[in-house]
Amino acid sequence: MRIVIVGAGEVGFHIAQRLVLEKKEVVVIDKDETAIARLMERLDVQTMQGSGASPKILLAAGIREAQILLAVTDNDEANLIACIFANLLAPKLQKIVRLRNEDYHEYQDALAKDILDVSLVANPDYEVIQTLLRLIETPDVEEISDFAGGQIRLVRKKLADASPLNGLQLLNLPRIFQDTRIVIGAIIRNEQLIIPKGDDRLQGGDNLYFVCEKNDLRKIIGLFGEKIHPVKNILIVGGGKIGYRLAQTLDRLHYHTKVVEKDPVRSGYLSTRLHRTIVLQGDGTDVELLEQENIRSMDMVIAMTGDEELNILSCLLAKRLGAPKTVVRINKFAYMSLVKTIGIDYIVSTRMAAVNSILRFIRQGKIISTVAIAGEEAEVLEAVAQDNSAIVGAPLKKLKFPKAAIILCIIRGEEVIIPTGESIIQPRDHLVIMATRATILQVEESLRVKINRKNSLSLPGLPKVTWERS
Amino acid sequence: MRWGFLLNIVGLLLVCIGLTMLLPLGWALYYQDESRLPLIVSLAATVAAGGLMYGLTRNQDYSGAISHREGMAITALGWLATCIFGALPFYFGGVFPSPIDCLFESFSGFTTTGASVFTDVEIVPKGLLFWRSLTHWLGGMGIIVLSLAILPFLGIGGMQLYKAEVPGPVVDKLRPRIKDTAIILWQVYILFSAAETALLMLGGMDLFEALCHTFGTMATGGFSTKNASIAYYASAYIDGVITLFMVIAGINFTLHFQLLRGRPLIMWRDPEFRFYLGLFLGFSLIISLSVYRTAYDSLGGSLQYAAFQVASILTTTGYATADYELWPPLAQCILVLCMFIGGCAGSTGGGIKCMRLLLLIKQAYQELFRLIHPRAVIRLKLGEQVVSPEVMSSIWGFFLLWLGLFFISVFVVAATGVDVLTSFSSVLACIGNIGPGLGGVGPTDNYALIPPLAKGVLMLCMLLGRLEIFAVIILLVPEFYRK
Repeated sequence: MRIVIVGAGEVGFHIAQRLVLEKKEVVVIDKDETAIARLMERLDVQTMQGSGASPKILLAAGIREAQILLAVTDNDEANLIACIFANLLAPKLQKIVRLRNEDYHEYQDALAKDILDVSLVANPDYEVIQTLLRLIETPDVEEISDFAGGQIRLVRKKLADASPLNGLQLLNLPRIFQDTRIVIGAIIRNEQLIIPKGDDRLQGGDNLYFVCEKNDLRKIIGLFGEKIHPVKNILIVGGGKIGYRLAQTLDRLHYHTKVVEKDPVRSGYLSTRLHRTIVLQGDGTDVELLEQENIRSMDMVIAMTGDEELNILSCLLAKRLGAPKTVVRINKFAYMSLVKTIGIDYIVSTRMAAVNSILRFIRQGKIISTVAIAGEEAEVLEAVAQDNSAIVGAPLKKLKFPKAAIILCIIRGEEVIIPTGESIIQPRDHLVIMATRATILQVEESLRVKINRKNSLSLPGLPKVTWERS
Repeated sequence: MRWGFLLNIVGLLLVCIGLTMLLPLGWALYYQDESRLPLIVSLAATVAAGGLMYGLTRNQDYSGAISHREGMAITALGWLATCIFGALPFYFGGVFPSPIDCLFESFSGFTTTGASVFTDVEIVPKGLLFWRSLTHWLGGMGIIVLSLAILPFLGIGGMQLYKAEVPGPVVDKLRPRIKDTAIILWQVYILFSAAETALLMLGGMDLFEALCHTFGTMATGGFSTKNASIAYYASAYIDGVITLFMVIAGINFTLHFQLLRGRPLIMWRDPEFRFYLGLFLGFSLIISLSVYRTAYDSLGGSLQYAAFQVASILTTTGYATADYELWPPLAQCILVLCMFIGGCAGSTGGGIKCMRLLLLIKQAYQELFRLIHPRAVIRLKLGEQVVSPEVMSSIWGFFLLWLGLFFISVFVVAATGVDVLTSFSSVLACIGNIGPGLGGVGPTDNYALIPPLAKGVLMLCMLLGRLEIFAVIILLVPEFYRK
């Protein structure tokens, strides 16, 4: 499969990196010579220097032989023009366009369907806000993502040394959790990803990835031996595009929200548009202002300006002044591992969100949704078992499934099943599967082979798997 | 620098090279000659050594891409190991009195130089002769490009290896993935080789000789199975076929791919191709006129011999149909000039390369142009493509290093007591991967009489020439080993 990517910035680079690992043919176009050189040096892709909005360059990049075009530059207009020419040159191509300007958001559907025939308009701001809302709802975990339309949650939680679970063998988990179902899919210990087995023991300091039902989450956190701190008071630093949208959403959900915005004109605009939210004009790193507004009593500080260094500084300052939880918006991927070590609680990134939603789209038809975990070392996928899938009809322990991949849960209609070795998957079940980066291909590939077999030969007793388009 | 990782890949490469010895072994079994045992022993030794290297370094950390300097180190060490183990069949075959001669023949083969120390090739067992020609063919398109095509895991960072081996200042990727690019290059190479083999067999060669000469031609190597080289056949048809394929082998293989895809215009419009073709036609014409009536009586004959010799030297093949040392001085001077120039970037030819020369000429003209139009904004262009200052400075760096190493080598060779003309031309013929030179190493002579120390220097020159200096010389720079 050939994929043409317009834009070799952070988003383009990271998508290309993942696609190369999945053995796709990738061609990247960018104007910037140094960005192109960096890509060529580090990834096995073809590069082309020039404007992705130019039909000549698109043709030279082999747009006619490609299956997917990703227009992911930082410039919305360039992305749109690239799609227009792609339509002209290769009408059957699937196109994904990254748009950042809020003004386009309303017209997203019209743009996608009527004007451009684009398959997906990636608007990562929206997803970042969803992520933040989940965090605000359950602040005592490190990371949350949704599966099965929100019924199932994938959670990352750090295990405290004082937790009653410290030192517990995994096979003893049911004794503690009783009828509350939970599957621990992965453990990050000393920055190493471990896919745990029954006799592995939990240790203090471990980061656990687990899935559970949405409603059980609070109970589970209780069993981790921690108090739940509900979030009510939120301070947002930066009233830009995304800060404003976040404030607006929180406003509607009746949180006590304050927004700090530096620009007086923008502050005026914010205060006319936001009704319950308090708009403060000032700098997010202004100690006096933060103390005046009683930062200590805030439950969460979210730094959302476009300047990531400023975001980090504001949060560090807020933390020092007593804010319990801080969230930083970051764009440079290189900062991500750094930020956790200096004591900031969460990171959100519109670029990361764009990468994830675009990758999810590329895999569509096989997999419904994916979430990258542990710095992209592993992924959690959601897929549907077909009538004649290989995994249907036999107990899990008898299935040939890669060792580094596990089935976290089975969703059958309304029912959520946390599987054991004896569980049997039925057709139409939704599955949540976790796989390390090295095995994703194996999982996908073995599945792909079986799809072909469905058409060519059908031996009795040879089960098959296909993935369904969502 | 992850040395274990480096050795691991080099080990794997050696296993591949060892396995290619199965091909000459097949011929040895077919002809029932005495090279069977030496080939079996060499094969086993090479595979075992490679396997051992691979096995001992298996548990290293291989995550992360191959860095720039690792790419160069792998390429240089891989070539060195290949050339050394490639000498084993000659050593076990007992065809040379000293091990240095075995190494010389192997280096000369893999680097497609074609300089030989055999005084009589016709008595050498067929299996060894085939191996000798096969080393050309493997080295021509490149052992690294071959391993990129067949080994699955070299994809990440493969570009670093590819850049270190493929000749020319800038390298093109034909397909998004390096593996596919390498496969295409080998496919084109195999296709042309098959065509030449068939055409040579039509001209009366048997399969063995046709294959050996094809390997020598397509790789721009120059080893023959006859003492008199191509002159043995005394056939205008065979001269014509080999001339054509030498010219083809000197062209950038990327352009061949475009041609085979039905895009001849891309080839025709390529400035380097035009320059190269112009040089070939122009030089052939001048030499024909120069040798007409002085060396040959017919105009057709002069053209045939002149074109063959120009193609042979310009593409750095080194086949001979005539003793050009008997030609008039002008013809000889032009041939010496050809030795400096070489083939196109991305071809199997050696030398400085047409593209570099063309760009240097263009830059020289640009300086003159600037004197006339002091305020003109000038960009150095190749066709419609702007050539960046970085590329230009790397060309200058290459050119100066090339000249510097050339002269140093000449001095060392001369210090061993070799005469001026022979030292000069033997170094030129080796660093340019040509083979025959002038004087003591002319087209009718060979390298057997060169002293051992000089042979060592010439071997190094061959490797420097094949890998275009940087990848080899960088291993000698202390900065390279600093953390």
